[in-house]
Amino acid sequence: MDDNLRQRREFVRFWADYVRTHDDKTWSEQQKTLINSVLRSAKQFSRKEYLERKGE
Amino acid sequence: MEWLDERTIKLDKELNDLDLFTLRVTRVISKYSEYVLVSGYVSILFGNSRTSEDIDIVIQKISKDKFLSLFQDLERTGFWPVNVNDKEELFEMLNDNLSIRFADKEKVIPNVEIKIVKDALDTLAIKNRVKVNTAEGPLYVADIALQIAYKEEVLKSNKDLEDAEYLRRLFRIPEEKINKWRTIIHQYGR
Repeated sequence: MDDNLRQRREFVRFWADYVRTHDDKTWSEQQKTLINSVLRSAKQFSRKEYLERKGE
Repeated sequence: MEWLDERTIKLDKELNDLDLFTLRVTRVISKYSEYVLVSGYVSILFGNSRTSEDIDIVIQKISKDKFLSLFQDLERTGFWPVNVNDKEELFEMLNDNLSIRFADKEKVIPNVEIKIVKDALDTLAIKNRVKVNTAEGPLYVADIALQIAYKEEVLKSNKDLEDAEYLRRLFRIPEEKINKWRTIIHQYGR
């Protein structure tokens, strides 16, 4: 396993413990910031471009 | 989050854009078919720190008439098909075990990727689905142990293995439950 993967895996474990031990509102506000920011800045391809990207 | 019973979870999270998109689209789909959310979105719903551009969902086999009504309802609610505009062709795609995608009009991301049940494993996934009560309504997700087993045994990409590890750590599902699904998955040749 390379270093990036190992670090990512460690973070996944850390975050699962964090979610398990904190109330829903606390962790989900942080998750919301991340997800909304990624989705709102996502490039909106044309339908054709998107399907090509997906190999469909 | 809190288990209310063996098949129901209460999730008091602050809903993000992906959750709200999923709730809007499943609210329409559920009028025409039972469904189950599978794959990456399940771990995201429960807090995993990543996002996804598509939501995978399995629905029951539906008649052409019912599909055409679903299509119209989705369009009326503000969605459009990503694959092709022709609803007859979309219905044929579904029946050929191909997935079809719907997104908010003029967009492609996020989108819902719909498949119909193709074998007994998919049927079991719907039958054993877990209801997740959110502030904006219910979502039905695959059994957590099934998700873990499927990601570890079938999908196996780094992202899938991370999702499985996240769900394992979060829910602390007994290994025998995961093994039970492992056996079923292999019985169906996945």
